[in-house]
Amino acid sequence: MLSATDLVVRLGSVTAVDGVTLSVERGEMVALVGPNGAGKTTLVKALAGLVRPASGTIAVEGRLAYVPEGRHLFYDLSVEDNLSLGAWRGRDRNPKRIYEVLPGLAGLARRRAGTLSGGQQQMVAVGRALMADPEILMVDELSLGLAPIVVSDLADHLASLHQRHGLALLLIEQNARLAFDLCSRAYVLENGHIVASGSSAELERSEQVRRAYLGVGSTPSKVRSREGDSSESARRDGSA
Amino acid sequence: MILLLAAASFLLPLWLSSANLTVYILLGLYAVTAIGLSLLMGLAGQVSLGQAVFFAIGAYTAAVLSLHGLSTVVALVLAPLLAAAVAAVVGVPILRLRGHHLAFATLAFQLIVLSVITNTPFLGGGLGFTAVPGLGIGKATLSSSLGYAWLTWGLTVVVMVVTLNLIRSRPGRALRALATSEAAAESVGVPVVRYKLAVFALSAAYAGVAGGIYVFFIGYASPGSFPVELSVELVVMVVIFGLGSVWGALFGAAGISVLMQVLNQVGTLHGMPQYMPTLLSYAAYGLILVVIVMFLPAGVLPGLRRLWARRPGGREDPMSRQIAPPIASLRSLLRSTRPKTTRADGTPSPEQTRRQ
Amino acid sequence: MSALVEYLISGVAIGCGFALVGSGFVAIFRVTEVINFAQGTFAVVAGFVAYSGLTSAGAPQGVAEALGVLAAGALGLAFGGAAIGRKHTSPLASLVITLGLAVTAYAGEIAIWGDQPISFSGLQGDFVLAGAHLLRQYLLVIGVALLVLLGLGVFFTRTYLGKGMTACASNRFAAEVVGISVRRMGLLSFALGGLLGGFAGVLLIPIQPLSFNSDIDLAISGFAAAIFGGLRSFEMALVGGLVLGVAESLVGGYVQASYETVVALGGMLLLMLWQARRRVELA
Ligand SMILES: Nc1ncnc2c1ncn2[C@@H]1O[C@H](COP(=O)(O)OP(=O)(O)OP(=O)(O)O)[C@@H](O)[C@H]1O
Ligand SMILES: [Mg+2]
Repeated sequence: MLSATDLVVRLGSVTAVDGVTLSVERGEMVALVGPNGAGKTTLVKALAGLVRPASGTIAVEGRLAYVPEGRHLFYDLSVEDNLSLGAWRGRDRNPKRIYEVLPGLAGLARRRAGTLSGGQQQMVAVGRALMADPEILMVDELSLGLAPIVVSDLADHLASLHQRHGLALLLIEQNARLAFDLCSRAYVLENGHIVASGSSAELERSEQVRRAYLGVGSTPSKVRSREGDSSESARRDGSA
Repeated sequence: MILLLAAASFLLPLWLSSANLTVYILLGLYAVTAIGLSLLMGLAGQVSLGQAVFFAIGAYTAAVLSLHGLSTVVALVLAPLLAAAVAAVVGVPILRLRGHHLAFATLAFQLIVLSVITNTPFLGGGLGFTAVPGLGIGKATLSSSLGYAWLTWGLTVVVMVVTLNLIRSRPGRALRALATSEAAAESVGVPVVRYKLAVFALSAAYAGVAGGIYVFFIGYASPGSFPVELSVELVVMVVIFGLGSVWGALFGAAGISVLMQVLNQVGTLHGMPQYMPTLLSYAAYGLILVVIVMFLPAGVLPGLRRLWARRPGGREDPMSRQIAPPIASLRSLLRSTRPKTTRADGTPSPEQTRRQ
Repeated sequence: MSALVEYLISGVAIGCGFALVGSGFVAIFRVTEVINFAQGTFAVVAGFVAYSGLTSAGAPQGVAEALGVLAAGALGLAFGGAAIGRKHTSPLASLVITLGLAVTAYAGEIAIWGDQPISFSGLQGDFVLAGAHLLRQYLLVIGVALLVLLGLGVFFTRTYLGKGMTACASNRFAAEVVGISVRRMGLLSFALGGLLGGFAGVLLIPIQPLSFNSDIDLAISGFAAAIFGGLRSFEMALVGGLVLGVAESLVGGYVQASYETVVALGGMLLLMLWQARRRVELA
């Protein structure tokens, strides 16, 4: 439903994405992990059509929405307006349906987006993307600057959307643990190249990935226990 | 190259008819002013839409002083000094503004000065001064146009040599950094505010001395001699062949002056309505500005000169490499108009450091 | 007393005109970050077109003015196309382009309407207020300007399209993310700027004859009004326009007419410098 072949994206003299091939199937949850500066953000921007690739092809079937890195809300507009603008290309501008999915937003409808906390803002960003009634959602850095509890809450929401509406997800995450737990499949991007890919379980077992992304030796169980329960169930839901 | 220009400018007037000689002199005066503006816009990255005001200040200084009995030579020396002094004083607050704010501020300043002149009988009021004496020492006055032509072009050559050397000097290189990114220039310790002010004053001095010669040559000055259109004309001269380029400003002044002369002749052809010359000149200025900035933001000349530099053994003009940034960097200039985090003394404010 | 009332009311009327021009600056700047130097041109062209509509085409009053405003809107769209139509034109390069367009427009205006000031009579007659005889046209200017500005506010805060434009002003990247074409909104804002300038032109021309180069004065005054709100607030542009209009009118009435411009320009300069200073302190 979303695929890129041999994608190359240049930003000035930097080749940020260098020959990437990836795909997300209908109803699938896929993670994209990698170190800072790997080119993840550039890759999703290209997939969202916001950056023109130098070469390669992108194929999108179905409606696609995008939660950009750093949220990028319309800070001087109300939450309600932010949400309804998410439907710019869609038909239904009424944010009511989002309040059913993300009930926390209903009470904030009249607040100015700039006055919300980071977690609330991220919720609005996700809600705004959902207003486009996407079949596939790309989320760049779900957990950026958020408390673990908020992150697992958001992850729960995404998992249930996936489960109930068959939403496909491409999730970019610094927190590889969370990404692997939530998604059934993952890509590892380094220096603009895909260096590893496969099912989350496979990748979690790979020595290389464990050392670089899961902090092997430094008690992964502790990390797990912090976000553990909810994301675990999310994954099980996802693969069901 | 400069020598060639000096020789040509010395010899050319001998063949010119008196009407063409007038054009030639004005061309030189505009060139001097345009070189200053080019330095300000291209090198210091400051957009001035009121540069003609310094031309006017120079002209009025020379006129008022000489009409009050001061020696015309002394008056001519004081003209650029006063223009530079005014620029230095006005520049302190005004140069805090960036981008479009500065553009409007300089334009406003010109309109204010013109309005004050119009309302001040001491400065001739709206009618201005007629019968400004010719330039001279004691009884020996510069009476022929030929003399003014040589004087003007001598000045032009001097201004060019000075400016080219300034660009190649250390402060010049620092200024170039300033045009591309003020923040970057600041971070490597360039005293941004002081340099900007210095370039502003220098460009005003160039305009001032040109204005001084102008008033002695033409013999009168009124507020109407220095309209906003003159400022726009100067901007056109500067952008046409590339911002920040001395030769570009010279050729720009030459090209526009000659073009206007031609259009003037076409416009006054038999049967043309009376307003035709004005109409044609507006159309030309406007379209040149639009087309150049839309399609050739680096100017016409840089492209040509880059080719010239690539010839075997060619040496690139130190300016040509940084011609492109100015218009491009106008964006960065504009950005900095919003959160201005520079103190007047040019050091980054503590907040700025904290933010980074 | 009656003199004061007269200066005040005429100042308010002129100030409403400035506010309209200033709102044009704001409408365009918020969305595109471009200062449209040709903002005064819209007013002049609208006034001239209305004049032609009245005199040559024999259009009834009202229709002619509407034609003028629409013509200015179309001109705004065209200027926008030149100023921001090409990618990678920096805002300041766009300013220089609009400056070029304004000068080019001089040629067209002279060719069509000549180089003499033009005026036509608007709302006939006058009325008496506190002993002062005032033109009815003043009331028309004030009423229409306030209505237009009110409509503008409703457009930006209540309509979906208006919110989309505000979104571009608020965060242009986010606007692209949700699929709003920032460039198309920019063109729309230029058309809007054209309409606003046009309203100013057709309202002011009966009070102040306009000539082809009146655009500079109008643009400077409008810019000064817009600067009041940092080029981003319509309400402050209205306040700025009124302050400027009344100040000019009082200075013109009590001191000397020729100092009007000095006061307006000086005020604008000081305001800009004060704002720059405050920015430093806030930063
Ligand atoms: N506007 C730009 N111009 C030039 N280079 C850029 C630009 N934006 C990003 N880059 C470079 O492109 C590369 C990829 O950046 P990108 O933002 O895609 O990385 P990322 O994987 O998202 O990193 P992070 O995890 O920190 O968000 C980096 O080397 C970065 O420095
Ligand atoms: Mg990123």
